[in-house]
Amino acid sequence: MASIAVLYAPGTNCHEETAAAVERAGGESALVHLQYLLQGRSHLMDYHAAIVPGGFSYGDHLGAGRIFATMLVAKLRGQLAEFLDAKRPILGICNGFQILAEAGILPRRQPGTRAMALVENQSSRFEDRRVRLLVSQEKSMWTEGLEGMILRMPSAHGEGRAVIPESGHRTLFQFTDAQGNPTMEYPDNPSGSPDAVAGVTDETGLVLGLMPHPERASMPSHYSQDGLKLFQNLVRWLKR
Amino acid sequence: MTIQAVYTLSKDDPEARKWLSFFHRHGYARLNQLIIERVYWLEGEAEVGNLLPLFVNPLYQVASDRSQLNPENGPVLEIAYRPAVTDPETPSILEAARALGENKLEFARLSRRYQFSGLEEAEARKLASRFLYNKIVERVREAGEVFETLRPSGEPDAVDRVSFEGLSDRQLEALASERSWYAPISQMKAIQAHERAQGRRHTDAEIEILVQSWSDHCYHTTWKSLGLLNLLSQATRRIAHPLVVSSFKDNAGGMEFYDGWVVTIKGETHNFPSAIAPFGGIATKHGGVIRDTLGFGKGAYPIGGTTVMGTMDPRIADEEVPVGALHPQMILTESIRATAYYMNPMGIPMMHPVYRCHPGYPKCFALGHSIGLIPAKYALKDSSEPGDIALLVGGETGRDGIHGATASSTGMTGRTLEKEFAAVQIGHPITERRFTSAIPVLRDSGCIRAVTDLGAGGISSAAGEIGGETGIELDLDLVPLKDASLTAWEILLSESQERMLIVVPPEKLQQAVEILDRYEVSHASIGSFTSNQRLQATWRGEQVVDLEMSFLWEGCPIDPVSASEPRRTLPAIDISEPCSQDHWESAIEKVLSHYHCADQSGAGARFDTTVQGRTVVGPYGGRNDRMPTNLSVLAPLRDKPYGVVTTLAFNPFYGEINPELLARLMMIEAVTKAVVAGTDYRNMVLCDNFYTPRITPEIAWDLTRMVEAIADLSVATGIPFISGKDSSSGTFEAGSEKINVPMTLAVAAMGKVPDVAKIVTKEFKRAGNKLVLLGPARPELLGGSVYADTFGQRGSGLFDPGDAAAVRCVWDKAIEFHAEGQYVSGSAIAEGGMLLRIFEATMGSGLGAKIEFDAQTPGRRDGWLFGEFIGSMLLEIPPEAAQTLSRLKVSHQIIGQVIAEPLIVFAEGGKVIFQQAASRLESLWGQTFREVLE
Repeated sequence: MASIAVLYAPGTNCHEETAAAVERAGGESALVHLQYLLQGRSHLMDYHAAIVPGGFSYGDHLGAGRIFATMLVAKLRGQLAEFLDAKRPILGICNGFQILAEAGILPRRQPGTRAMALVENQSSRFEDRRVRLLVSQEKSMWTEGLEGMILRMPSAHGEGRAVIPESGHRTLFQFTDAQGNPTMEYPDNPSGSPDAVAGVTDETGLVLGLMPHPERASMPSHYSQDGLKLFQNLVRWLKR
Repeated sequence: MTIQAVYTLSKDDPEARKWLSFFHRHGYARLNQLIIERVYWLEGEAEVGNLLPLFVNPLYQVASDRSQLNPENGPVLEIAYRPAVTDPETPSILEAARALGENKLEFARLSRRYQFSGLEEAEARKLASRFLYNKIVERVREAGEVFETLRPSGEPDAVDRVSFEGLSDRQLEALASERSWYAPISQMKAIQAHERAQGRRHTDAEIEILVQSWSDHCYHTTWKSLGLLNLLSQATRRIAHPLVVSSFKDNAGGMEFYDGWVVTIKGETHNFPSAIAPFGGIATKHGGVIRDTLGFGKGAYPIGGTTVMGTMDPRIADEEVPVGALHPQMILTESIRATAYYMNPMGIPMMHPVYRCHPGYPKCFALGHSIGLIPAKYALKDSSEPGDIALLVGGETGRDGIHGATASSTGMTGRTLEKEFAAVQIGHPITERRFTSAIPVLRDSGCIRAVTDLGAGGISSAAGEIGGETGIELDLDLVPLKDASLTAWEILLSESQERMLIVVPPEKLQQAVEILDRYEVSHASIGSFTSNQRLQATWRGEQVVDLEMSFLWEGCPIDPVSASEPRRTLPAIDISEPCSQDHWESAIEKVLSHYHCADQSGAGARFDTTVQGRTVVGPYGGRNDRMPTNLSVLAPLRDKPYGVVTTLAFNPFYGEINPELLARLMMIEAVTKAVVAGTDYRNMVLCDNFYTPRITPEIAWDLTRMVEAIADLSVATGIPFISGKDSSSGTFEAGSEKINVPMTLAVAAMGKVPDVAKIVTKEFKRAGNKLVLLGPARPELLGGSVYADTFGQRGSGLFDPGDAAAVRCVWDKAIEFHAEGQYVSGSAIAEGGMLLRIFEATMGSGLGAKIEFDAQTPGRRDGWLFGEFIGSMLLEIPPEAAQTLSRLKVSHQIIGQVIAEPLIVFAEGGKVIFQQAASRLESLWGQTFREVLE
């Protein structure tokens, strides 16, 4: 069975529920401390997919996700390249998305070259909201079979406004209003993210960055189980 | 040593925009632009170019080796930590620089340069000192300053040996005041006698330890003198509830959960620091109560939290704010910002954000709870054994919070703002987050014999507590300092946040260190446990503390407090019943837009409510996620149906009329809120937090009645209190005027349910269902209600649901109904009465409600709608089940029905007397709090 690494560092605070969601979807999860990778006690290629979960890694010092991303790029660039070349999937949720962007993994798969950023919400506040996400028609194994659907899940962050200076990214999720139309209206679009961007993928569709939290909508006692579908798609894809 | 600098600007800076509009609101209209430039000061032969990716993201930031601010555009103030203090970011920067291969970066500091276009420099300095920095730890860096090194520097004061010998009472009093000891004369004399008996002078460290350990905050002198301290714990012992695992002895209380787990609860107030420096005060309120969870047993994990604030009305004019107090709007907005700042990075879901106001709160009420989860086998601490290691983990020790315990035990004066800012601590959630992850791992590896948090009184208090039965010997030179100028007593008393003290068996030390290193948690073995029952400490070769534990813990003289019954002469309410559509409309709008009833999600939506993935019911719910639930349900064990239900009751009005009844009502309200959701009160425990004015005979009388009342009710209903806290310092002095807080008691209830799917929520479910008020109603009793408050009246008649048997009877019936699935929605009556529940249930469902009175309905109609019948509940019952209601032996009324149209309608004898669209009411309800925050 392919194992899915859930990476965490000081300040990460969503790794346990993310690992639980992976297991709930039938996957096998492994909590991997960033220090283990840095010290060489563990290697990215030991895992068939990687998830960078939410939180405030390193206190979000110097910028959301900045230090975690610096570590990845400076110390693990080779492993990352190998992982990307091997076409293994990566998911960044919330702070994890910020890390993937800071590291240049999204949207262009070029560690060390930043091509997008997630900056402070227009409200200058942390926004805790239940959001609706429209899944785009773009191809990605993460959303296979979900195209055009509206997924409901919680969103909770202070820096989620996507700044993407050049084209070339692929929007996979957009915040929508109650009618299911992509929206710039607050609070349906809690960050004021341009073009209602809530999640993007790379050219291969294997790397996904998503601001809302699918792991918090993954079991019957959650108000929605839509998030589980993403983890199920990952597990299905790995089995192929 | 080379010192280089990197200056960065953001291309788009919402934070600067937010401050600009904040300053405009605070009267700085001439400020036309605010720019914030960040500066990184770097010491060592590092190649700065290689570090730039760390400091700037070129997509939205620009960097330069010199300031990018043009001085002609207005005064620039650079704010930085004082030289003796380290930035929280410094370790992160050094670590990341090493990752980038820059091993020669030796130290880093940060500062922020603010440019205030449109203001004179003097004005800018005043504004900055009021809002932008805390002068105890930060300062303005003047232009042209040259540094030789960035490393913390400064020399500590030598140890002082103080003699009380021969001092008169007056001299002792003067000494206590001069040293900010705040010790009453009886304590000063006890220390004087102790000096004589031991035949040597005390060191400053010893006296500081004694007065802080004997402060009301730590020693509960007021409650002890009134004989109240053990009343609730005795009641709990009498109940001998099988689910109680730990009550009152530990840092939190514990209740048996399912599958070998225990859930814990603790509530802590942080009133004084929050009143003088709300941001720091509230951040550390959360940090502190979370550490109480981590310090339960051998270390519980925090799974939920609350924030409860009582301030003056934030809408009052500046001149109505007592001299020396902060404006309540500032306390409110800063408290919200601080709760987000601390709780979100901690990754702990917010369960109950509650904001109330009362003119008696210039010294605000600032309460936070923490709920924890721990395997039952680790719920009780082991005793420390001689030879065990005292391991200090977490942050470094600095000058934070010196004199916090003694200052928080006193009243607050107009001068306090100036004088005691040092008592307010600085919080860094990332440091606490690190050991929050590590402690359960240490625990499960057998490395923890006992653990406690460092709070009021710092190392001295934690060491004295945890080594109370054995003795402990500390070497203060081993304590990691962030401020090199700290002297011995300051190291011992510092309340630097984010520190825990762990008792580690010596053979487990190596393993503990490995685990802590893995989680990047700083640690230091600062001493060991002995068998001589003494608290001992050395510093720079000197014995600075050598006190017997018995004197520390039992030597405090308790001053007697007399009690006498206060006279209350409150007039009855004088409000005429609404008699037209317009009158009704006005009455309803006033209640729904009242601060206590209005939509508070403007605060609540800034807090993460779903992190950890355990949330079943958060603070808001219903169709559009705006409906306040007044309920929290968590499912702590992953993929198991078991739930922890928590509810809260806090009312600042009732105590003015009848403090004893207030106390009972708070307990009943909290329990009823959980019962109506489907929680059996026999599976429930309670947590109390008192906040009362400085003691007088009248306050003593009321306080005693309050504690006795809930102790009795606890025994009579069988619901035990398992933790709590008292604060008897709710008095603000502005000149000759004394402002007392209202007699305040907040009660939290925590229950367990076997299946969260059976929880019943508030929003209406189906048109045609009957609305039933279960429990007693006395429409003529509007005293203390929000409705009366909208007329500026308090009243004298407070609703009383009756004795324990009567209250239980309603609960029992609700539990029976719930088990039979008889009701599909429900809510407990509280502030705003039945009307607020109906409105919220309407909003949460998109349905409407029609309330029908007829000739048989006794009493005033406004009393039915707005009366706060604590202990009663509004239930939605399908029509077929409603037919059997007449057999009920419990007081109940069918008061109307759910309708399909989103309207709120009242009818009298079939004739509509009021009708309004719920959506119109919703917009009014949403306005109040938003206006306060903007």
